[in-house]
Amino acid sequence: MHAAGLAAPAGTPRLRKWPSKRRVPGSQPSMADPHQFFDDTSSAPSRGYGGQPSPGGMGYSSPSASHEAAFLADPMSNMAMAYGSSLAAQGKQLVDKNIDRFIPVTKLKYYFAVDTVYVGKKLGLLVFPYLHQDWEVQYQQDTPVAPRFDINAPDLYIPAMAFITYILVAGLALGTQDRFSPDLLGLQASSALAWLTLEVVAILLSLYLVTVNTDLTTIDLVAFLGYKYVGMIGGVLVGLLFGKIGYYLVLGWCCVSIFVFMIRTLRLKILAQAAAEGVPVRGARNQLRMYLTMAVAAAQPLLMYWLTFHLVR
Amino acid sequence: MAFTLYSLLQAALLCVNAIAVLHEERFLKNIGWGTDQGIGGFGEEPGIKSQLMNLIRSVRTVMRVPLIIVNSITIVLLLLFG
Repeated sequence: MHAAGLAAPAGTPRLRKWPSKRRVPGSQPSMADPHQFFDDTSSAPSRGYGGQPSPGGMGYSSPSASHEAAFLADPMSNMAMAYGSSLAAQGKQLVDKNIDRFIPVTKLKYYFAVDTVYVGKKLGLLVFPYLHQDWEVQYQQDTPVAPRFDINAPDLYIPAMAFITYILVAGLALGTQDRFSPDLLGLQASSALAWLTLEVVAILLSLYLVTVNTDLTTIDLVAFLGYKYVGMIGGVLVGLLFGKIGYYLVLGWCCVSIFVFMIRTLRLKILAQAAAEGVPVRGARNQLRMYLTMAVAAAQPLLMYWLTFHLVR
Repeated sequence: MAFTLYSLLQAALLCVNAIAVLHEERFLKNIGWGTDQGIGGFGEEPGIKSQLMNLIRSVRTVMRVPLIIVNSITIVLLLLFG
């Protein structure tokens, strides 16, 4: 009855020990015995010990006071673990294969490859873009270089952090005016996200209508449109400290900076190569593209004002 | 300022409905935006008008059936939950 279904040729010593353990079911947690068993079974780690698939298939829960070491030594639990881990691996493979269809995870990783130096320089560039000369993104064998190595590359870290900080600062501003309630935070977040989505859709639509062949992907666009939250945070914080005058000053400065930043960045992406180098190229298409760039850039200060003016009284 | 994601979804649904409702023969042909009037040869750039006509035609073709489903769901949900 012991060897039923169990290939335990050399397990006879342990099989003999096994009945003795079964006779004392649930006795003191015998930690010595499993170790002893482990020592014995160094060549056959999981034979014989509690191995018989008992009538309920509950071999691993046999009353041998099996603790973790003994539990793992049990072939039934081994099989269960192996099966479970293979199931988990299969599930993970399935998820990995399919999630790339909905969320481009590998592409997203590129946008989060930042470091502190890049973030610092980029924040400085967002607030003061007037002295920066070279706005081209460097390429490395047909793929753009990661943001860590090139300050001109768009990233999603700053926009994501700035968005969350904007929500928190909005809550802070509302709190100082005794207008705060927790659902207002959700409302602010939803509102800002809705405006962002609307902007992205409007810009994609106009890019389609004007038949611009750019390498400006949607995620790039989200990144560029998310940079305005930095200026908004600055404006609201200064407005909290110094009142409306400070708010208008800082917001005005950030609006102009974002305007210049967007024009200089989008010019390289949307306009044709010749026009981007400063040579004014005639033609209705380039003019249309220039108007589009200016419209996108001009929408940024408007939205910056619209999303913050109600926070500063 | 109650501009939420939900109202954005509602607005998008209404816009797509509006595009789907445009009648081919009675309206679009009369203003010169019919689907067979948009072929401008194989010039290198289709103008804005032909892009727009293409967009309208593709939206009408693609979104017919999903719109039926989404509209029905929206109607039921609005009736139940206001």
